[in-house]
Amino acid sequence: MKVIECNNLTKTYLRKNVLNQLSFTIEENKITGLIGRNGVGKTTLLKILAGFIKETSGEVKVFSEYPFNNLNVSANLIFVDDQMSFPPALQLYELLEVAKSFYPNWDMELAKRLFDYFGFDPKHYHHRLSKGKTSTFNMIVGLAARCPLTIFDEPTTGMDAAVRKDFYRALLKDYLAFPRTMILSSHHLDEIDDLLEDVLLIKDGKKHLHLPMEELKEWAIALKGRAEIVNEWTGNREILYENLIGKDTMYTVVKNDFNETLRQKASLAGLEISSVPVSDLCVYLTSESKGGIDDVFNNR
Amino acid sequence: MSLTTVNLLNNIKKLYLFKLKANIDSFSSLIGIQLLALLFSLGGVTTIGSFSSNLHIDIKYYSADLVIVFTMIWSFVTAITITTKPYRNHDFSFVTNRLTSSVANILFLFTASMLGGITAMLSGNLLKIAITLLLDEPLYLIHGGVGEIAIGAVAAILYIFGISAIGYFIGALVQVSKLFILLLPILLIGSLYFDGMLQRDPIITDFFKFFLFEASFLIFIVKALLTSVLFFLASIVILNRMEVRR
Repeated sequence: MKVIECNNLTKTYLRKNVLNQLSFTIEENKITGLIGRNGVGKTTLLKILAGFIKETSGEVKVFSEYPFNNLNVSANLIFVDDQMSFPPALQLYELLEVAKSFYPNWDMELAKRLFDYFGFDPKHYHHRLSKGKTSTFNMIVGLAARCPLTIFDEPTTGMDAAVRKDFYRALLKDYLAFPRTMILSSHHLDEIDDLLEDVLLIKDGKKHLHLPMEELKEWAIALKGRAEIVNEWTGNREILYENLIGKDTMYTVVKNDFNETLRQKASLAGLEISSVPVSDLCVYLTSESKGGIDDVFNNR
Repeated sequence: MSLTTVNLLNNIKKLYLFKLKANIDSFSSLIGIQLLALLFSLGGVTTIGSFSSNLHIDIKYYSADLVIVFTMIWSFVTAITITTKPYRNHDFSFVTNRLTSSVANILFLFTASMLGGITAMLSGNLLKIAITLLLDEPLYLIHGGVGEIAIGAVAAILYIFGISAIGYFIGALVQVSKLFILLLPILLIGSLYFDGMLQRDPIITDFFKFFLFEASFLIFIVKALLTSVLFFLASIVILNRMEVRR
């Protein structure tokens, strides 16, 4: 079953296209990572899916329904980010009780256990929590709501490394026990690459790649060696990233179309062949220039 | 995971109960504002003095009218407040759409108006007790019966609810564009000036006369409720198109 369908989705703010003809579908019970640079339209996309904002043109369907102003979509979906707002008059514990009344699949037991584990005071207030604690509380709400579509937009903002690790583990465990569709947008791709099944990479408001994680890991390959040899090998291949290390050692990332014999030839020619970490690959794929920040400082 | 479908009325009920809890602070400010109004009322609303050769009569008229007026202002402010961004966003942290959110808001405002109207009417009794204790002069009671208080309470509730409907409408307009913050006072004061220049009664007074000069209580109820419903409907239509949490 397709949980999300987007067709030529476009969103314009002040004549600037934030989302530009975006088309993709997301299948049921998968964890998809939404990856892209800052300001590329990730949050805008997620808010359209959640029915908070309206698309400018194109088609969007969540559970085969149009999400804007849709009560059924709202009940089956939870959108968690650090901007989630709760009434200041209610204590944290009361907020959990309220959430329980709204979400039919709410798991109070899980919520309470996470609540205690992360050391929350039931009588505390949401607006007095620190940044990391706010994110942690919102995450608890997001997990315990057990919505068929759970959207986490930058859920780890402000969390320290230990809490982030706990969060990923909690998410995975609860997902395995109660499989559901999840979308996770995060800048810490290296931390969640073993959590994700699919990756949706967005660049300039468009879908750049939508691949299973396993394929993405093999998608590119890095060649390292003497610059002229590397250049000879990369030849007419599209270069995703290149970096001159020292005087004449070149590190180049190209799309992986190397078969086994080609690999062996390359090693014989003195090239070091390695796989590219997915988080690095995503940075290369979404960057505007081939040489990264170094280009700013080189050749002035 | 299986999908759930949501019943509209059920969702409104949940949102309403949530709003009663979430907006509890507005009830404490109601108490504060009514106590303040009572304090002002202790001096008497109107004073009539009469002198003859060796007779001196002072008549002071005490009433809780001021409490009702203050409660109206309170309901106006409360209605505007709940249309603002943070309050709308609270609903969207849970399950809602714009329609159920607005209907729940209106139910909340009606509850608030009931509470405000009834307490405002009853505060008249508190005022009488306070004056009995504070003053030595003789007290005469007019409009004291239970029936009078009941009619008064219903009228007060309808006025307060009507004012909150206007507040909600203005709040909704301001959410569409902040320009209305400027535009509405300009329109209001401008129309007063304009009517003054033409040397006729301001249009605003006609609006109030429409309710205040109604002799039949039943027709007044219908008029007040209809006006409130119109304002709320317009607000629902406006807010139904608004984007949230952007």
